[in-house]
Amino acid sequence: MSLREISKVTGSREIAENTFESTLHAPQIAAMIKAGQFINILPSGDWPKVMRRPMSVSGTEGGNLSIIYKVVGDGTEYMRSWENGVEVDIIGPLGNYWEDFDKIPIIIGGGVGIAPIFFLHNTLKSKNLDHYMIMGSRTADEHFIEHDPDSKILMTTDDGSYGIKGNVVAAVDTIAEKQDLSDTKLFVCGPAPMMEAMKDYALDKNIECDIALETVMACGIGICQGCSMEYVPKEQKASSYREKYGLVCMDGPIFKANEIKTCYL
Amino acid sequence: MLEVKLGDITFASPITVASGTYGYGNEVEGLAEVNRLGGIVTKSVTRQPREGNPLPRIAETPSGMLNSIGLANVGVELYCKEKLPFLNNLKTQVIVNIAGSSMKDYLETMEILEEANGNHIGYEINISCPNVKEGGMEFGVSCHMTEKLTKEMRKRTSKLLIMKLSPNVTSIEEIGMAAQDGGADAVSAINTVVGMGIDVKKKSVKLHTVFGGLSGPAIKPIALANVHKLYKVLSIPIMGLGGIASAEDVLEFILAGSHMVQIGTTNYINPNIGVDILQELEDYCTENGLKNILELKGQLKS
Ligand SMILES: Cc1cc2nc3c(=O)[nH]c(=O)nc-3n(C[C@H](O)[C@H](O)[C@H](O)COP(=O)(O)OP(=O)(O)OC[C@H]3O[C@@H](n4cnc5c(N)ncnc54)[C@H](O)[C@@H]3O)c2cc1C
Ligand SMILES: Cc1cc2nc3c(=O)[nH]c(=O)nc-3n(C[C@H](O)[C@H](O)[C@H](O)COP(=O)(O)O)c2cc1C
Ligand code: FES
Repeated sequence: MSLREISKVTGSREIAENTFESTLHAPQIAAMIKAGQFINILPSGDWPKVMRRPMSVSGTEGGNLSIIYKVVGDGTEYMRSWENGVEVDIIGPLGNYWEDFDKIPIIIGGGVGIAPIFFLHNTLKSKNLDHYMIMGSRTADEHFIEHDPDSKILMTTDDGSYGIKGNVVAAVDTIAEKQDLSDTKLFVCGPAPMMEAMKDYALDKNIECDIALETVMACGIGICQGCSMEYVPKEQKASSYREKYGLVCMDGPIFKANEIKTCYL
Repeated sequence: MLEVKLGDITFASPITVASGTYGYGNEVEGLAEVNRLGGIVTKSVTRQPREGNPLPRIAETPSGMLNSIGLANVGVELYCKEKLPFLNNLKTQVIVNIAGSSMKDYLETMEILEEANGNHIGYEINISCPNVKEGGMEFGVSCHMTEKLTKEMRKRTSKLLIMKLSPNVTSIEEIGMAAQDGGADAVSAINTVVGMGIDVKKKSVKLHTVFGGLSGPAIKPIALANVHKLYKVLSIPIMGLGGIASAEDVLEFILAGSHMVQIGTTNYINPNIGVDILQELEDYCTENGLKNILELKGQLKS
């Protein structure tokens, strides 16, 4: 069950170009939330728009939870200016979470999709589960984690200004040189082209792959039916409900690569 | 102070929540005090389950949103099996919203609901969904069809019968009168306003269906005008809705002639809005010496 909690901002900082991390004191939600789940944020008390802003949680510590976000519009612009102590109305935990770590996880994030991957990284670490982490971006300025191949942490940049040159597929290829990919499972969240590329890669190589999708959400709790994604066609009844289209907020945000028709939502 | 009657049904307050913005009541568990609402109107239920329209289905607009959900819902049979038991346990009044694509659809759905063991006290009939070819608009834009459908439904139920009207018509008064002549207990107004969104960067429309329904505070003035038009010609009560986001908005609708109101899109921001505003409404009554909030109904000074 999800809760509505009036949280308090306990810190905000710019961690990379146009990328911010904020921590919110929200003990009830922080105690329940798992890596991959998200919260739905009312950026301010007098928010003039009709939708909250969904954000994946990037970690928890004590009664605090943190989020990592890129400033792309009014909501995130407002969030970056949150001062410590400000009250923020949030709903969570929402959606499903990363699970099933029997195979060696290769966790892959990029763009606004780094938050749930970062949370997963720390969850796996706390469970002492060996895994690889890949973060992709266009240039070095967008990175805030050290490229450290010995610790199985790989950064990629499109322009080669940091870490491995190329996209995240190039990083997975370097892992494939030493590691049989059929013993691994991919966990992916990032911009649509990146997720689509990883989906194709996983299906082509027959590797298990879970992908966290993103789309516009009005309610976040399965009411409005607006956050739909389309499943790969299965045998379908003439009339059906949630067989052709799933709801990202409830059935996801995490789906199996082989059931997603397209990551472009 | 806030208690109101519609037909012979008593509601704890005139505040209810609108179809499609509150699901079937169970989704907001932990987030809202459902039992303190005057009532809830369910998501539209159809004869068969519906998968809804292709995506994208929603887009934000200034002070509002566009949707073209296409009546995605479980269908009446699953509704009776899965949703009704939860609704039966609620202490608030439940109104089931029915949508259909043909007379047969509407009537069969109602017949199944009448047979089911539901505690619902009435029906709201959606003849005004702009988002599907078969969304009932064929009924909602025609006086003849509205009256005919209302009459047939009236024969099949003694529960409250509320016809939900569209603002996307030349004369909402004529459709309202047709519903009244057909035997409706009330009308609700308005459903969403036809709108369109464009993404300049992509040179594309924002909704797959091109056109969708606009809701939220952006449509409040349109809703008020339609409620007031209906108030001037109808003798049956009106449930007003469209963009309500505060206690003051509720008072505006009552002044325009609403007997009750529904809150829609604002539930997405605050699922407990319908309860949060109750105290302010009571305070208003106290401060203005009203024994009941409906003493305000239609009391616009000229
Ligand atoms: C389940 C889920 C989890 C999410 N987690 C995160 C997260 O951890 N960090 C994060 O930064 N964002 C995340 N997002 C995306 C985030 O919700 C949006 O970026 C946010 O709503 C934008 O709000 P805004 O008011 O700032 O921008 P808006 O005014 O809504 O949008 C401004 C412009 O940015 C575009 N835009 C909207 N969303 C995105 C996007 N995701 N990426 C790029 N452009 C976009 C819009 O099309 C528009 O042109 C998540 C979304 C979902 C559904
Ligand atoms: C996402 C969404 C789904 C809706 N679904 C239905 C529906 O199934 N049946 C119906 O009669 N009205 C539906 N409506 C219309 C609302 O009940 C209401 O008439 C309209 O949104 C105007 O009120 P508001 O501005 O307060 O939201 C829907 C509205 C939205 C935004
Ligand atoms: S956001 Fe409303 S159903 Fe998912």
